[in-house]
Parts: sequence; structure tokens; C-alpha cells
Amino acid sequence: MNILRVILLLIFFITPIKANTIYNIIKIPNLEIYEINTKNKLKYFYATAPFRLGTQKNIVCSNPNKKDLEIKYRTVYKNLSKYSYDYLKKINLKYIVLCQNLSISELYTAGIPDNVMKTLILDIKFNEDYFERVIHHEVFHIMYLQYKEIFNDEEWIKFNNPNFKYAKCSTCTNRLGLKTYKKTRGFFTEYSKSTASEDMAEVYSHMIIFKKNKIDQFRKQDSILDNKISYIKNKIKQIDSSFTF
Amino acid sequence: MIKKINASKSEKIIFVFLILLGITTFAIYFMLKNECLFVKNFDPKNIDFKKPNNIAILNAPCGNVIIELYPNISPYGVERFMTLIRSNAYENIAFHRVIKNKLVQAGDLEFGKKGSLNYQKIGTGKSGMGTIKSEIDNNFNYTKGSVGLARTFKNDTEDSQFFIILQDEPLFEGEYTPVGKVLFGLEVLKKIKNQRHSEYILRPDFINSFKMLN
Repeated sequence: MNILRVILLLIFFITPIKANTIYNIIKIPNLEIYEINTKNKLKYFYATAPFRLGTQKNIVCSNPNKKDLEIKYRTVYKNLSKYSYDYLKKINLKYIVLCQNLSISELYTAGIPDNVMKTLILDIKFNEDYFERVIHHEVFHIMYLQYKEIFNDEEWIKFNNPNFKYAKCSTCTNRLGLKTYKKTRGFFTEYSKSTASEDMAEVYSHMIIFKKNKIDQFRKQDSILDNKISYIKNKIKQIDSSFTF
Repeated sequence: MIKKINASKSEKIIFVFLILLGITTFAIYFMLKNECLFVKNFDPKNIDFKKPNNIAILNAPCGNVIIELYPNISPYGVERFMTLIRSNAYENIAFHRVIKNKLVQAGDLEFGKKGSLNYQKIGTGKSGMGTIKSEIDNNFNYTKGSVGLARTFKNDTEDSQFFIILQDEPLFEGEYTPVGKVLFGLEVLKKIKNQRHSEYILRPDFINSFKMLN
């Protein structure tokens, strides 16, 4: 028993010192500050070396090159500047990590939201065509995780045709297309058909990216989408009544 | 009969030199051993404070650290901090987490008390007064010498532990409840015992006393 105690103490006292403030706050290694003096107080970090995360170290992302980072930072900043400090505080988003080739269990992904650590990891090399929309899609996921009691999957599912079924998870389906349908039939994209939360995120991100008249057009043509858009609008109002799309 | 031989001039010089060398070695040994030798100890009695009611004096091994508390910025945090200071709760409590030139942390009233340190649990102890809400909305620049309340990964878990930063930490703003700033005696904190390979300290230094000025 005493030997065990000594071993435990030894482990305790030889733990390498991690004096890195960013690591201490969000528990992601190999990051440096890109910009922290922003209007809405979002703090932007970037990877200086590849990092692995998660209990099984299954989240992997690499360091971007300086030029890509510069270009994509501007895009990310422009899009996230739409959100006020109060809104971000309510949804619990504070830190943005920019890296490239982000994957989870070897599946490439655009972003990984973590509302507990107030962090959104973004892959700056993600498909150029949808990159801006994807930023808002991931912001929605943060919100969804933060307000599980507000966003109800069961209510949402009822908007769809009764014979429609989502997949069991967003990664266990081939419905991955992000191109916006011309004929929507209740879904903005193929990816919307993966799970209820992905569908909500797709509706939200389209509402942010598209102009009001374009969204109104969708609403007129598609009653299912009309209901879904109203649902998201109402739920966002519950979270922050001052937010406007 | 033994003939008395007088020491030559050079022998006398060597003798004096050896005595001086001995004295110098002795003095240097004590100077090096006393890490507090060049640390100025501020006496709060000799200082005029604008808000004396908000001044707290922490006495550490190398002297006094004079802290101004900011009840306007974090009313609940400062109230808790003052309550613990006034009840002498921080006396003989360890600086259990020290990162050289970066941060010192103390205030584990449960597992950090002198004489009953619990190395396995230090840093997780409670005050018995419950946790308080994080106060992180007001603007506050976490510059060198800022004092904040420590918490777990979650907000609203502040209790008795506090930290003082020894370098600017802009990322702490909006993360940790600020309670004050060191006015004098930052050098005293730089002399708190630290370890190269661990931020948790074996045989740590302790707070001698922590009192409000008034």
C-alpha cells in the first residue's frame, strides 16, 4: 500500500509542467493566438503543429500554412462577426481553433463544436464552396448542445413526411452532399437528411447565409421547410430575442 | 630552549588573506541561502492608500504582498475573499500550485493546511461555504499582479482558492473572476517555492498571514 502511495506521489510530482495558458483553458495542445482583440470577444487560435484530442485521441488536425490561414481567417472572422458578444455568451462560444484536415475517427469533418470548452474547431481546408455556410452550421451545433431542452428532435421529425426516416447518426449514412437543392422537398441539402440535428443546422446556416427574399421564396414553395424555418426562428428568439437573421 | 621565530611579511599576508577568504565564503554562503535578501518588504503603515478598506496584506516567506481588492468589479467574489481573509482562514495555507514567473495559486483550505497537507487531493479542497457564481462579464485586464478566483472547468464553481499572475494573461479575461491586483510586493511572490517539472509543489511555501488593512 505504501509503495503504491509513493508511486502515485511520484507520478503526481513528475507530471510535466504545462504552463501553456491556451492549453490550460481549452485543453488543446500546440495552439497559438491568432487574434484575441475582436469586437465580439471571440478568441482565435491556430495550430502550430498537428494535435490529437479526445480520450481515444481520435480527433486529429494539422497546422495550416500561413497564407491559407490569413485568407481563411478573414472569411471566418467576417462570418462570426455577425454574432454579438451577448449572443455568443448565451450559446457558450468563445474560442475558435483554426487548423486543417480535421478528422474524427478518420472521417474528415468541417468542424467540431464543444460547448463545454466554449470552443469550435474549424477545418480551414474544408470544401471552399460551402465553407462560409459550414461555419454557421457548426455554430448551430454549439447552440444545440448548449440548449438541448429547447431543440427537440421529436418535434422536428414531425415536420417531415411520415414515411421519411433520418439515419441513426450523421456519420452512418451516405447522405453527405452539401449542395443546396433546387427542389427542396423539405430539405435544403442531402446532408439535411442525415439526422434531425444536422437538418436543423442546415436550416439555420441557410437562414444565415441566404438573403431574406431567397429564404421567403423557399418558404413559399416548400411548406415543410416553411415550418422548419419558423421553428428555428422561434427557438433562436427564445435564446436571444435581439437576434435577427 | 625553543627559539621563537617571527612570521615573515609574506606569511602574514597569506594568513590575513586566508582569514578574509573564510569570512567572505561564510558571508556568501548565507547570502545565497537567503533567497529573500534582495526582496523589498513593504510596510503598509508607510503607504497612503486611496481606498484603505479594500487593501489586504498577504504575508509570505519573503515579505508582504499588498493587494487592492475590487468590489465594484466582482462584488460576490470579493465578499467571499474578504470573509475568508477576515476569518484568518488563509493562514498556514500552502501555495500548492506554482508556475515559475507565471502564476502562484493558494487557498485550498481543506487539503492545503500546514501540518495536514494531503498531496493526493491538494487543489480539490473546499471551504465549506459552498461555491459562488463566476463574475466574468465586467471588463478587466489580467495584467501582471492580477488576483483571480480559481475554479474547476465549469463556471460558478469558485470557492476559496485564488491565484495571482506574475505575467500578463489576456486570455484570463472573461474566464476567471477577478478580485484584485497586487500594488506592492510582486517580487515576494516570485520567490515562492516552485518546481521545474511540476506545477504542484512538494513541501510548499505557506501563507504566514493574510489580513485586511482595516
